[in-house]
Amino acid sequence: MRRNGAFIIIGVLLILSVILALTTGQYSIKLATIGKILSLKLTGHIPDDDLAIPAMVLWSVRLPRVLMAILAGAALSVGGVVFQGIMKNPLVSPSFLGVTHGAVFGASIAIIFFSKSALSIESAAFFWAIAAVVLVHVIGNRGINTMTTLVIAGVIVSTFFMAAGSALKYIADPYEQLPAIIFWTMGGLNNILWKNVIRALVIISIGIIGICIFRGKLNLMALGDEEALSMGVNVKLARILFMLFGTLIVAAGSSSCGIIMWVDLIVAHISRLIVGPDHGRLIPFAAMLGGVFLLLTDTIVRILPTGEIPISIVTSFIGAPLLGYLLMKQTRQWKD
Amino acid sequence: MTQNNEILVIENVDFSYRERKTLSNISFSVRKGEICGLLGPNGSGKTTLLKCINRILNNETGSITIHGRNITALSREKIAKLIAVVPQELTIVFSFTVLQIVLMAGSMRFGISGVAKKKDHLSALEVLEELRIVHLAQRRYNELSGGEKQMALIARALFQKAEILLLDEPTSHLDFKHQHVIMELIKKITREKHLTTIMTLHDPNTAGRYCDRLIMLNNGRISHQGLRDKVFHVESLESVYDMRIKMGHTDTGAEYVLPAYEQ
Repeated sequence: MRRNGAFIIIGVLLILSVILALTTGQYSIKLATIGKILSLKLTGHIPDDDLAIPAMVLWSVRLPRVLMAILAGAALSVGGVVFQGIMKNPLVSPSFLGVTHGAVFGASIAIIFFSKSALSIESAAFFWAIAAVVLVHVIGNRGINTMTTLVIAGVIVSTFFMAAGSALKYIADPYEQLPAIIFWTMGGLNNILWKNVIRALVIISIGIIGICIFRGKLNLMALGDEEALSMGVNVKLARILFMLFGTLIVAAGSSSCGIIMWVDLIVAHISRLIVGPDHGRLIPFAAMLGGVFLLLTDTIVRILPTGEIPISIVTSFIGAPLLGYLLMKQTRQWKD
Repeated sequence: MTQNNEILVIENVDFSYRERKTLSNISFSVRKGEICGLLGPNGSGKTTLLKCINRILNNETGSITIHGRNITALSREKIAKLIAVVPQELTIVFSFTVLQIVLMAGSMRFGISGVAKKKDHLSALEVLEELRIVHLAQRRYNELSGGEKQMALIARALFQKAEILLLDEPTSHLDFKHQHVIMELIKKITREKHLTTIMTLHDPNTAGRYCDRLIMLNNGRISHQGLRDKVFHVESLESVYDMRIKMGHTDTGAEYVLPAYEQ
């Protein structure tokens, strides 16, 4: 009952967060107005002149941003859960396998050599994030106990992409390209359009559905390769599937919003503390909590009196101390 | 079924870790319903052999067949339906409960998602009830004592509903009393559920008391094998452990062995 209660609470929190995010900002919109605009839009009517500005703010700016925050938060968090599960380590995040540095490298290439359009940055970040993980898998997937080799391969590939990214920053134009790269690596949802939402929705839905289909097998993977093999899991195939789906969703989230730090690690960990380690419950809960966390963080970022700042600054300020606190509190539960 | 009710037949199996030969020319068979003990000193290849039987490790030469079918031709899922494993020790990072651990063994029966339904929870609880550990169902596995962990892992193996049970040193971390409790339980479930049990053992007394068949290993080779009464004697044990051994009898007539300590 306590655990079902957690789902009800997070569901209510998600609804309240959406209402808060839609109504607050530089231009505040009343809840009743939002209802009116949405009903007009959904029935195909054009809002009256007095509703034109709030309708434009809501429909073109705030709603896609809110949806993207939920999607990216869910994607990053579920990605964190999946990678922690297959790596048997609650302190692992997708960036351990090169996703983050691969995405930064891809975005930097697009900013320096291509059109610098959102689409080219997004596509390049997505492609190189996937390429980094494929490379990690090719190098690290050896023998039965591949966890250690995968982590080492992740370090190797991450270091390589980090060096390549630094080289790109070094040659980048310091007035336009370099700030663009740095700004992208700090994450943000300020340029999100409906087309970004649609693209992310399709990819993230495919990934999360894929993970949900096989979620029970993640429990066995989290016990270790030999245990999973003994209980009938084709470990190599399962690992490839989970890495593929996990990378797909994280890359989709990162490519649209830039690098958003800590969400994957912290939400996966908190979710496990609340609903336990059973992935049948953990994955949907982490998706909802991740959505709430990123949406609230983005709302804070938007309404700061100093003006909007990159979201990773806030997620890091919240995430690092929170994880430190949880780590100190929970150390006794984790195996050395 | 092959001749003589043999459920597991191992023929000429070799295995090496890199250059180091761990198993050489291993051949034996186990009949349905037997408790078979793999006995030998540390490093004799017992656990490696157990892992080859379960195809966690792939033997280089020879064959391992179950019901006449070579295990290399079986999928992981099919092997799991035939063989359940109780590891010597299970170290888990996440705080799964005993019930969750037991349910995982049924994952292959729960469809593609591997997620248990309510009826599966009930049948897992029945297994725990049967072993009289239903009170542990919601306890975290990591917080159990050694004996409770072993009981939970045996419950998990039973829930897997396989006909062959592989146990790796089932009593190695247990005190005197719990060694007895666990071994009596293994014997009981083997007989009552018509299982075939193969286990590695350090302690010759445990092997002598509970096993129907013994395979004695030394340096990766079988030194003696056969029915318990045929091979459980001072000469075979002295040759396996490379030391002098003394055999005696308890008041009830049961045999026991001890190292022949020098004064």
